[in-house]
Amino acid sequence: MQEKDRTLVEFRHITKRFPKIVANDDISLSIRKGEIFALLGENGAGKSTLMSMLFGLYEPDEGEIFLRGKAEHIHSPAEASKLNIGMVHQHFKLVQNQSVTENIILGMEPVKKKLGVLSCVDKKRAQERVRSLSQQYGLDVNPQDIIEDIPVSVRQRVEILKMLYRNAEILIFDEPTAVLTPQEIESLLEVIRSLRDGGKTIILITHKLDEVKEVADRCAILCRGKLVGVYNVKDISTRQMASLMVGYEVSLDVEKARHSFGNVALEVKNLSVFDNDEIKVVDNVSFDVHEGEILAIAGVAGNGQVEVADALAGLLPVRQGTIVFEGKDITSLDIRPRIEMGISYIPEDRQDVGLLLDYNLGNNLALKTYYKPPYCKNGILYENSFTKEGDKLIKQFDIRCSDGCATTVRSMSGGNQQKAIVAREISLGSKLLIFVQPTRGLDIGAIKTIHDRIIELRDQGKAVLLVSLELDEIMELADTIAVMYNGKVQTIKDASTLTANQVGEYMMGVHHEA
Amino acid sequence: MNSIIIDGMAFSLPLFIIAIGGIYSEGSGITNLALEGLLGFGAFTGGLSVALLSPLFPCGSSTTMYIALVVAMLGGMVYSMLHALLCIKFKANQVISGVVLNVLSVALTAFLANQINASFFGKASNKFMLEVSPRIDIPLLSKIPLLGGFFTSVYPFEFIILIVALVMWYILNRTPTGMRIRACGDNPQAVDAAGGNVEGIRFGSVMVSGALAGLGGMCFAYSISTNFSPSIYAGFGYLSIAAMIFGNWRIGPTFFACLLFGFARSGGYFLVTKLGLPSSYSDLVLTLPYVLTLVLLISFSRTNKAPRALGEIYDKGKR
Amino acid sequence: MKRKGHGFKQSMVKLLGSGKNQDLRIALFCILLSLFAGSLLLLSLGKNPLIAYKSILQGAGFWPKARYAGHKSMLTDFLSLLNYATPMVFASLSVAVALRCGLFNICVPGMMIFSGFLATVLVGYSGLPSFGARFLVIIVGIVGGSFIGSVIGYLKFKFNTNEVVVSIMFNYIISYVVSFFIQTKYIDPTTRQSLKIGDNARLTLVDKVIGNLKIEIPLVLPLAILVVVGLWFLFARSRLGFELKAVGMNRKASRYAGVDVGRTMVISMIISGALAGLAGVSYYLGCYASIQPKVLPSLGFDAIAVALLGNSSPVGCLFASLLVMTISNGTTYMSSTLNVLREIASLITGILLLFSACSAFFKVQANRWAQELEDEYIVNMREAPHE
Repeated sequence: MQEKDRTLVEFRHITKRFPKIVANDDISLSIRKGEIFALLGENGAGKSTLMSMLFGLYEPDEGEIFLRGKAEHIHSPAEASKLNIGMVHQHFKLVQNQSVTENIILGMEPVKKKLGVLSCVDKKRAQERVRSLSQQYGLDVNPQDIIEDIPVSVRQRVEILKMLYRNAEILIFDEPTAVLTPQEIESLLEVIRSLRDGGKTIILITHKLDEVKEVADRCAILCRGKLVGVYNVKDISTRQMASLMVGYEVSLDVEKARHSFGNVALEVKNLSVFDNDEIKVVDNVSFDVHEGEILAIAGVAGNGQVEVADALAGLLPVRQGTIVFEGKDITSLDIRPRIEMGISYIPEDRQDVGLLLDYNLGNNLALKTYYKPPYCKNGILYENSFTKEGDKLIKQFDIRCSDGCATTVRSMSGGNQQKAIVAREISLGSKLLIFVQPTRGLDIGAIKTIHDRIIELRDQGKAVLLVSLELDEIMELADTIAVMYNGKVQTIKDASTLTANQVGEYMMGVHHEA
Repeated sequence: MNSIIIDGMAFSLPLFIIAIGGIYSEGSGITNLALEGLLGFGAFTGGLSVALLSPLFPCGSSTTMYIALVVAMLGGMVYSMLHALLCIKFKANQVISGVVLNVLSVALTAFLANQINASFFGKASNKFMLEVSPRIDIPLLSKIPLLGGFFTSVYPFEFIILIVALVMWYILNRTPTGMRIRACGDNPQAVDAAGGNVEGIRFGSVMVSGALAGLGGMCFAYSISTNFSPSIYAGFGYLSIAAMIFGNWRIGPTFFACLLFGFARSGGYFLVTKLGLPSSYSDLVLTLPYVLTLVLLISFSRTNKAPRALGEIYDKGKR
Repeated sequence: MKRKGHGFKQSMVKLLGSGKNQDLRIALFCILLSLFAGSLLLLSLGKNPLIAYKSILQGAGFWPKARYAGHKSMLTDFLSLLNYATPMVFASLSVAVALRCGLFNICVPGMMIFSGFLATVLVGYSGLPSFGARFLVIIVGIVGGSFIGSVIGYLKFKFNTNEVVVSIMFNYIISYVVSFFIQTKYIDPTTRQSLKIGDNARLTLVDKVIGNLKIEIPLVLPLAILVVVGLWFLFARSRLGFELKAVGMNRKASRYAGVDVGRTMVISMIISGALAGLAGVSYYLGCYASIQPKVLPSLGFDAIAVALLGNSSPVGCLFASLLVMTISNGTTYMSSTLNVLREIASLITGILLLFSACSAFFKVQANRWAQELEDEYIVNMREAPHE
């Protein structure tokens, strides 16, 4: 059989642009019927965007998608569904107060007529179909369970059954193992294999290289919106995959002056944190940060790094473990006392957490100090102090604003908003500064400024914890690198002993191969 | 004893049908505080139809009552479209919309009732008089000791309400449409992804709540005061919301909540008269449903579950 | 490449778009819309809207009438307006303060009854000298209202109950319990309301003779103005106001900044309750001298939309209250001179409230259109080189 006859999906010269970025740049690849095809790449590489177009959530700006040899314009998930394409998203779209069966049949309910007149949902028929699908592919579910009572891994099976119920031939999985325990991951990979054996075509969007190795036939690697190449998984090692994803061919040997650190400022011991859905997102994490040290936590998004930072700032409760700052146990301390003890936090979400968008710049710059003199005396706020101190910071950090301290922060650009947050947090004079994704979405100039500041802080003897998804940033700034994967710390090493490739490998869950 | 049952049922059932309307609306995700205004507007349109049509029918005929019930449903449905428009299309805050529509309904019906009475009927009145509703004694069953009260002196609308309630229960819990309505109230994104029209479903649910509230309001008008007047706005709409919360947004438990509220009310009145207490004590009895609901809210805050997406403005753009 | 409706969008954005005084412009827009709707209504009744509106102003004391009854003048009408507006000012401020913190206080009617009843019973029937009596009335009003507010706030804080539902329950519980007490102990059999309070405790001087006029003097009006100023100061200059606003804007970010969100919400409900209590005493022991049992004052519900119209700002609420009460008071005169139903007042007010409920929508829509126009502009600029 010719290879071409087996082509099921073909992307030809697909380009997709968003206001500030080219998400997919002239990508052409084809996927064969009955294979498990992995789409690999770092955050922002463009994998989700590409598959979202197959699923009808977006439409390409240039290029065409061919399905079974025919050009298709897929405008909505409903159309994709009719073309037998299904997608399991990272965030499930399930109705919590209804049963497994009801969720699966939503929108395509089998109907029978009672007494010849009244139409009603044929629950029996639906349940039988669910049971048979479930047995056929090894997706163990109880059709009558209510969604809110079942664990996440079972909910994922419901999402998969939704697709199978609609006779999906092409199943797209978007980072499916992010929410699963190791055993659950094994079961899922089993399921994926049996789906393939049942004649389905699977597209797996992931950054977990070990899983790709275990289950995929071929993989495409995207880097910064471009297609690096398509490879047979048997013929490529995880190290090679990692370096292609990360984009470094030669290890960068940057000679960085080795700094001597001061005392230990922050000790994190056996930290475990759970999120709202009771998933363990931080698993027994331990590390120390010294004065005069930049400890960078590397990792792909969603591996628990941000939750570590939130827990340190006091925004997330700690389930197990301790946090000791300057010799004092702050594990159950409230947020304001932590700020007053000397912990600064530049959060990941600058608009929804780091700033009060409808307040002006002066207020935001004083957001953590407004209740103290000179801003506040006897419960009364002094506008002059806000303006005076604010103007100082605006000048010092070159914050572009149309009206000085009176500018409404909502109207400022993202870069300047971030500068304002950084300015504020640095001006607190804290001993520990936690930066999460500090340069996301900023232009080169702004990035350089912030990087210079971070180095300056380290040279002044502050303890800096940097959580970043950008490998360049980590390699450039870090004294020590910790890598998190699946909520655990994979390694903590002196930055001078690690190459970018190696860090990339740890980030993807690869343990060193000989 | 019988009077407790008779009065209790006559109150519980209209309350129940209004609460079902609330369940439809809030079940689809739209907070509906406007039930008070909707029941009043329904009673207004029904009362108006009686005033206009009664000359055409022989005296003592009850046909006008049945017509009034239908008209009240239509009237409530039309007025509820305002709430649907504000909440769904204009994405207004649903609580504010509900309260504003209640205020508007009182003002609108008062004005129109006065104006129509003045212009059409040449009267200075803010009321529409209704004919006295007949009451039915079911043969045999009404003679049963104790429970016979359920079949004695029954208003015809009580049967209508029971039938409508059954139909509405069936639609919500057995048909695909009902499934989608309930899904909209939990996760509208899921319905959207499955190809459903979230806005349309919610709009329809709000209109259903208007129709049912109108029906309930008309029944109250017949049973309590035999007229439409501003006194129809006695807080029963809010009471039905309390019943709905007490019943955890499910029709079955809400039925029992309404029975409880209705019988507490009629039982309380009975006790007050029996014990020879001044009628003011009946006011204390009237607080019972609200106190019970408060206690429920506080002690069962964990199990008391409003629809997950209730009150949230649905933005199709968000993915 | 201009799309259809471009011109309409542009002018709407200019009119209602963001920039200085957007909220004021939108409020004026709502008022104009309702006046327009009111005019249509009047025209359909065969009345001249301009004459109708003028007679409303005359009735409210903003314009001289042709004739005055004995001992009455434009001044007496105006003072009467101020008298009835005072409770509305307090009530709308009550709603506004809660709204600023992101909470709905729908319990204003209940709080009014509670504080009005407490003051009536504790002070209204006492024979205390008038200065002391009135002072006490105000204190009782504040305490009574804040008590209810603190309970609602605490329930929300401790049990995360929905404050809207709790408020509705309280409205009816308070209404019925107070009605019970009135009817058992304090009822006036002829009026079927509570016994009239002594003039010594009344917050409005009624039938005060000055010159040859008999006027009503709302004694608490200066207090209302003071409260407006005080709240303005609270929100503009105080630490508490800063935190209240922050919590209302964004609870997550407020928490991140170290603000105690739960405590702040409880405080806002207490202040809101205190203001509702003041509304209650100025209503039941000021405008009126007795309480009608089992009636929830509609003023308490109207105040919600008045607060919206005033954009939850203290000064805005003051003017919005004046506007709404002008319509309410002035319509009595209008209805008698033009032979229109009195009820038209509440109808026009209801329409005004409907539009002000949409004011948030107008704002969002105007901003959205502004964004669309801006995006179009950018696209046009981008496409230009290719043409």
